Amino acid sequence: MLSPYGLEIVESCLTCKVRAERIFCDLPNAALQAFENIKYATAYPKGAVLFVEGQNPRGIFVLCKGRVKMSICSTDGKTLILKIAEPGEVLGLSATVSGKPYELTAETIDPCQVNFVKREDFLRFLKEHGDACFRVAEQLSEKYNNACHEVRSLGLSHSAAEKLAKLLLEWSSRNGEAAKQEPRMKLALTHEEIAQMIGTSRETVTRLFAELKKRQIVQSKGSTLLIRNKAALRQIAGA
Amino acid sequence: MESAIQLSCFDCSLRPDRVFCDLPADALEAFDAIKTTALYPRGTTLFTEGRPARGVFMLCDGRAKLSVCSGNGRRLTLRIAGPGEMLGLSAAVSGTPYEVTAEMLDNSQVAFVRRKDMLRFLRMHRDACLQVVHLLSQDLHTAYDRVRAIGLVRTRHHPAVKAVS
Repeated sequence: MLSPYGLEIVESCLTCKVRAERIFCDLPNAALQAFENIKYATAYPKGAVLFVEGQNPRGIFVLCKGRVKMSICSTDGKTLILKIAEPGEVLGLSATVSGKPYELTAETIDPCQVNFVKREDFLRFLKEHGDACFRVAEQLSEKYNNACHEVRSLGLSHSAAEKLAKLLLEWSSRNGEAAKQEPRMKLALTHEEIAQMIGTSRETVTRLFAELKKRQIVQSKGSTLLIRNKAALRQIAGA
Repeated sequence: MESAIQLSCFDCSLRPDRVFCDLPADALEAFDAIKTTALYPRGTTLFTEGRPARGVFMLCDGRAKLSVCSGNGRRLTLRIAGPGEMLGLSAAVSGTPYEVTAEMLDNSQVAFVRRKDMLRFLRMHRDACLQVVHLLSQDLHTAYDRVRAIGLVRTRHHPAVKAVS
């Protein structure tokens, strides 16, 4: 089919090739068929807002393709990015289950395919399918672990340098780069967005990157970042 | 200890008011069979951050302090859990180490269920699984509130952060 934003849309979960690798999606056939009947497959461009913090929950968004920025905002407009959601994650889950307003804002940072399920349909689906309910518990647990990690990082790190080092080490341990002496990663976020992830200013992030480069701890080329001295970065992170 | 231990959930008068405990009779009976109830004195550490998840702890009464710790021993209180809360749930469900430390603030009755038994119980009892999903959603909301309070107000040292002597 013709697909918007250069995305190859997977219309049916039943024929999705990556389903088995995803925590929520790998459901037994009966549950999958039921899910198929209540979901709406949608494509979004980069920069689309799926839901806003404080809105009443309309339902859940299963992220099939692309990445989504999850953030919270203070009344004076200060933003904190909690995480970048990856494909396979279910967004808006706890608000949909509890009926409380969405606690985060979700904004796409790539063109995305998202499967939307209305709140009442999703709650009925969970009551009828024990397996799916268990998967939801697993997803919520993972999100809770992530939130605790965020509290620890924001509340107990001494400095912005420590938080930035921790973030870079965390990113460098993904995509099979963990074991490498000099891990390489693609920086998908701007300095402004990185600042929002560690609760500091854009200027501080730019200054810290300049210092790391000067000390030859990291090296960058375009949006690719190479960690040249992992031990020094670990020392800054206090790990 | 202020009160005698209550061994069966069927005898608990507070059960209808609690998110998890208000289960159908068959699920309650199954939960009764897998739990171990004990009275824990104030100051008891139920579990420690970073340790493998052994199981879940249901606070029948009393309160427990949930905290996280930095590498250099600084401690941050995440929240105070109250009666009817299930502690260690997300770690037990996901099979990851406990993400917080839980310490009793009162002399209280606590029901412990081993991880393996809890997972089997949740798979067999859909109602209980749904309650667990509700509990986890509540925990997550509280955790996000804490992130908001710390991350969007704090500059260098948040007042909630205190050094552990």
